[in-house]
Amino acid sequence: MKVFFTILICKLLRFVGGLVGKGSSLPGQVALKLCPDILGRVQLPEFIIAVTGSNGKTSTVEMIAHILMKNGKTVSWNREGSNQIEGVTTLVLGSSTLSGKVKSDILLIESDERFARYTFKYIKPTHYVITNLYRDQLTRNGHPEWVYDAVADSIYDGTKLILNADDPLVSRFGLGREDVIWFGADRLSSDTDTLVSAYNDGAYCPVCKAPMEYSIYHYNHIGHFKCTKCGYRRHDTEYTITSVDLDEGVMEIDGKYRITLALKSLYNIYNILAAYTVSRIVGIDGERIAEDMCDYVLKNGRVITFEIGNRRGTLLTSKHENSISYDQSLRVASAYKDGCDVLIIVDAVSRKYFTSDVSWLWDIDFDLLASPNVGEIVLAGKYVNDLGMRFSFTDIPQEKISLFEQIPEAVDHLDNGSGRYIYAITCFSDKGKFLAKVKGE
Amino acid sequence: MKILHLYYDIMNLYGDYGNVSVLERLLSQSGADCGVVKKSLGDKVDFGEYDFVFVGSGTEKNQKLVLEDLSGRAEGLKEYIEASKPALFTGNSFELLGKSITDCSGKAYDGLGLFGFTTVEQNKKRLTSDAILESDFLGKPLVGFINKCSEISGVENHAFTVRRGLGDNDGAKTEGIKYNNFIGTHLTGPVLVKNPHFAEYFAEIILGKRPDDGCLELAKKGYEVTLRELNSEN
Repeated sequence: MKVFFTILICKLLRFVGGLVGKGSSLPGQVALKLCPDILGRVQLPEFIIAVTGSNGKTSTVEMIAHILMKNGKTVSWNREGSNQIEGVTTLVLGSSTLSGKVKSDILLIESDERFARYTFKYIKPTHYVITNLYRDQLTRNGHPEWVYDAVADSIYDGTKLILNADDPLVSRFGLGREDVIWFGADRLSSDTDTLVSAYNDGAYCPVCKAPMEYSIYHYNHIGHFKCTKCGYRRHDTEYTITSVDLDEGVMEIDGKYRITLALKSLYNIYNILAAYTVSRIVGIDGERIAEDMCDYVLKNGRVITFEIGNRRGTLLTSKHENSISYDQSLRVASAYKDGCDVLIIVDAVSRKYFTSDVSWLWDIDFDLLASPNVGEIVLAGKYVNDLGMRFSFTDIPQEKISLFEQIPEAVDHLDNGSGRYIYAITCFSDKGKFLAKVKGE
Repeated sequence: MKILHLYYDIMNLYGDYGNVSVLERLLSQSGADCGVVKKSLGDKVDFGEYDFVFVGSGTEKNQKLVLEDLSGRAEGLKEYIEASKPALFTGNSFELLGKSITDCSGKAYDGLGLFGFTTVEQNKKRLTSDAILESDFLGKPLVGFINKCSEISGVENHAFTVRRGLGDNDGAKTEGIKYNNFIGTHLTGPVLVKNPHFAEYFAEIILGKRPDDGCLELAKKGYEVTLRELNSEN
């Protein structure tokens, strides 16, 4: 009876919340108050797939849901991105019958890497994808090894891990475990022999701390690594990106599935690979997955096109306090062969909390913009002086750079500029201020 | 002039290298012939060769590796600091110079023992905060960010008074340590970029005269913005 009422109340609150446009954590929060072990008292589906990691969680989950639903599976997933325990509770109870049986074939959970240990105590995933552990929101998260420990506490016996073999810290979760499924990339045409990054989080072995060596780097410290001392090394993969052509916008998985890319970044191809891996495990045919992923455009609004006067451009939503996210966007801009101008905005560091910390700007490899493809660089926002200071330590000619504290002034400046394409790079916290001043498409 | 950036590749969590970059520029633009030398675990280091020593913040594990390495260099570093030569240790790196560090499992490591304070780490809660720190040796407060999981006690020569942020331990209104021209603080990242007057402070010690601050114009504007933000936000 308690289960019945708790689920009923959760569903009602969710319904009302939906009407007034409120977030999805409150119903779960109330449910957990009424019945703290409610998650342990519902009947769960055969597949409970969790996705965590610093970057790409939401995109990966969105892709997995897309593929599975296209192929006739019913999926419950936290599409609101409400990925702490309250949000997950709302999701589970919202998808279950009043007697407590989850109606979908698959429960798909995007989980915050810091809180997964609390959530999974009650709802143990059958499969657990860990995409990457990067320097991300360090003002809250401390550092990647700190987050590693939090994620390690969320891995319970009986869960199969699905790990990114190219991330040395993530791979460590698989050490000494049999039930691991590995995904990663073979040698790619875009690889480098040396590190391209402002710092090296792969310098030392995450297991024994001896120096590591890389035979190839895919990007930053993601690649084929090997410890010089303890034998820890990149694991062979079951699901593999076998080639990629970012100019053409094509990737190939497992030597036979070609996928054309709507977003030409290495980042995107790892998310696609993770989604492919999960879908294969659920039993979807590789050919079908490739079809569903071809030219797939994410619905979460991270890539938006716009116009300023007669100029066109793309907004590459990047995460403040996340240098690898920025590096990926900078790579996209610097690879634009027809030539582009770049706008970078840092106005509010976060939309969720206050901080004025901009140390992460020093971890971003802005020298990626020292490319003949890049014309003018316009910096804007409250922290424009910090941005300008950071840029003064790059090899980019300073006459290419202009600074505006006010975002509208930066937009006006671009309106009067050349006809080149524009890449605008900023975060969720600041993109609204920019989009309000330009014409969206 | 030679700046030593020690453990540049392992104590580098929050863009700490910006500190040596900006100091090198400030010294060069003030007419000095200046370069940065990077050294790490196992490298040969003669502190006497340098005019400034910097160490940044690292993970708790990396800090213990560095502790083992730095312990073998304790004498040289002690002589350097006793000779009133300037050094800046940010984040958890200055904990190395205390009496001991106790990790989250309760294991105690001997520090270099240059100072009498002790450090205790935990792994439950990351202690983070924007910060405003005041001192009697800088004309203006420092702004920045503190990111740690440890508390220290027994500091005799406090460097700063906390106006906003975290002190040495729960409830403490003091932060960091200053002895001669050595300064240790839990502020992380490019502290000398965020606080150009702090960069000038060290440059004046190194040069023996006021530096030419022309290259710090943007940093000075940035400092005022951050101070304003921190003062207006509660």
